[in-house]
Amino acid sequence: MGTFIAIVLAAVLTNNFITAKTYGICPFLGVSKKTSSATGMGIAVTLVMVLATLVTYPIYTYVMIPLKIEFLEIIFFIFIIASLVQMLEMIIRKISPSLYGAMGIYLPLITTNCAVLGVTELVIGDMSSVLGAASMNIGWAVLYALFAGLGFTLVMIIMSGMRERLNYYKMPKAIAGFPIAMVTACFICMAFTVFSYISI
Amino acid sequence: MNKYKKITLDGIIFQNPTFILVLGTCPTLGLISSAFSAMGMGLTVLVILTLSNVIISLLRKLIPNEVRIPCYIVIIATLVTFARMFLDKFIPDLYEGLGGFLALIVVNCIILGRAEAFANKHTVAESAVDGIAQGLGFTLALTAMGIICEFFGKGSLFGLQIMNFKIGMLATPAGAFLVYGLSIAVFVYVVDCFERARRVKANKLARENLLKEAV
Amino acid sequence: MTVKQFFKGTAFKCLISLLCVLLVCGVFLTVMNSLLAVSAEERFERAIGKIYGKPVRTEVLAVENYNTNANIEEAYKIRDDGNYLIKSKGFGGFDNGTVTCWVVVELSGGSISGIGKVLIDSNERQSYIDRVSASALNQFGELYESGIYYTQDLITNATVANTKTAICNAVNGAVDFVNAKLGNVTEDPYKDFDYIANIQTVLSSHIYNAEDPVGESVIFTVVSSGYGHASNFTSEITVNVSDGTIRTFEVTACGSTGSSFDTTAKNNVAAFIGKDLDGILAILGGNTAYPGNGSGAWLEAGASESTYSLYNAALFATANYEKCVPAPDEEGGEE
Repeated sequence: MGTFIAIVLAAVLTNNFITAKTYGICPFLGVSKKTSSATGMGIAVTLVMVLATLVTYPIYTYVMIPLKIEFLEIIFFIFIIASLVQMLEMIIRKISPSLYGAMGIYLPLITTNCAVLGVTELVIGDMSSVLGAASMNIGWAVLYALFAGLGFTLVMIIMSGMRERLNYYKMPKAIAGFPIAMVTACFICMAFTVFSYISI
Repeated sequence: MNKYKKITLDGIIFQNPTFILVLGTCPTLGLISSAFSAMGMGLTVLVILTLSNVIISLLRKLIPNEVRIPCYIVIIATLVTFARMFLDKFIPDLYEGLGGFLALIVVNCIILGRAEAFANKHTVAESAVDGIAQGLGFTLALTAMGIICEFFGKGSLFGLQIMNFKIGMLATPAGAFLVYGLSIAVFVYVVDCFERARRVKANKLARENLLKEAV
Repeated sequence: MTVKQFFKGTAFKCLISLLCVLLVCGVFLTVMNSLLAVSAEERFERAIGKIYGKPVRTEVLAVENYNTNANIEEAYKIRDDGNYLIKSKGFGGFDNGTVTCWVVVELSGGSISGIGKVLIDSNERQSYIDRVSASALNQFGELYESGIYYTQDLITNATVANTKTAICNAVNGAVDFVNAKLGNVTEDPYKDFDYIANIQTVLSSHIYNAEDPVGESVIFTVVSSGYGHASNFTSEITVNVSDGTIRTFEVTACGSTGSSFDTTAKNNVAAFIGKDLDGILAILGGNTAYPGNGSGAWLEAGASESTYSLYNAALFATANYEKCVPAPDEEGGEE
């Protein structure tokens, strides 16, 4: 139970992918102009993160390490993620066209999202600061991926809400767009630093 | 020769990947708290980008159009893995400084973006120049912001302690966002002024030519 | 679609080119991996360099223990300057855990001149270990004196006292190890004694009192390790040589978390007076392990963790008093 809470708090608040690790910034800045699209992107990323971890972690632990081909991890992981995204796109289009309409456009973007590759690389690395005494296994890995994705979604939604308000103001050309979005993100990060006072 | 000059200027200033195109943001924001890591990341990307541009430009006639993206990804992933082995062996300090962002170069949009937008349409020499120019633009931007963030955030430069005064917030992701955002604003403003001046000059020249013809 | 068409089609071409790219990349990486692989030795040297502050050449030393409160796990002699780098695990931490430290022992002129650096490597169950500041660890270097043993009172910082005890033990163990390597073996005087698992042996001492008016006695000053939340206790125990019973039991320094616990623990000591080893063992039914909170006759009164520490002191004193009596031929003829 302690490990569960530690993972959830670390993934969502203290080590949030955007505000603490700065992973997945491209969609964070690119797809956060509207709350609806930010939510869709967040959920799609979460889904792919969980699925990717579910596939890559066992492959790494039970296939690549025994075969001593850990050095091929980047090629394997990116290939798995790319194929997963392709498959997911096809499946969603087949099963639920309405869901595809809402989420489909974000899926191709996810292949080159560092949050997905980042989480698969993180869970095979040293996670002792989050896990404490417990040792890593597939369950914790997927749990971490799930909550990291939810933390990502949370920050995406906050950001989109702020940017929707920003649309009402006229700004000089140099500041409009990315610069003001990044200053906004700076305030979100500052707000999230209070969570670093959480200790378990 | 003019062509190469244009590619170089585009890469460093007018199409700067960091400030104008805003690509490769994750490693930028994650590493500019230390000038050494930022510069190391910039140079690593420079090398990988140049190599991937050259290789993809060489293979552009061989690879069928339908599978070009998977092929590019495999090539880039190979180069990144190689870079990782190389740094681990010869520059372990940088290897640790870059941390997880080293593997994430694979999904750095600059590299795949240049492969897709430039290398598969241009000659090997042009692609190589483009890779170096874009990489330089990225490196210079990262180093400049790294120096700002490290100087004010940690009171040091490239790890060398200079002063005790420091604004710790600038060495955190929040500070990175702030410095990056303001740097874009300043850069865009300067480039804008520069281009306006050039346009005014060009207009003036055109008008004079027109007048001359009329006379 | 015939087979021939398939081989001429785009799909086949795509497949072949993708496979070719994959194959070439795979082979390239495999070759590079074997060329650029960082050997375990190299990694180890880098790690040592990081602990020591600069890359150094090392010589692995055989591990041996000269201090029962610490376990030397790895030991290296730094060839560049002759100093020692010891990985030492100190016992007696919070909740009976341990703290493993890297200790750089500096030498000059054939003897230990100071502690260069203490770094915490790992720990077991030490919940406030991250509150051990760098300045607290620097005190080992500042306070070094030949022949002293570090105690938790010496090292000041805000953390659970037991954690400090374990760190001190680790450093003491490293110093003892180096001293032994230099030929100054400080044999632990209580090495062969019984029931020393929970006793800070290097800090404890005893006096044999033959001229005692009440009867021959051995007076122990025992520092017993804390248990659970409670920290070290120092007690002065007088044991009658005639029958091995405890004559007096006085607690001179308490380690409980509150003064009420200290008082309770001191009162509990009354149960030990007049008992020999069997009598003490009988209190916990012949068992020496911690019985759990609130069980056993005298443990009901609260402060059970503190009392357990004193119980260990009593066990140590009653089990070993005979070893403290000088050899019988010196006092033969008394019978």
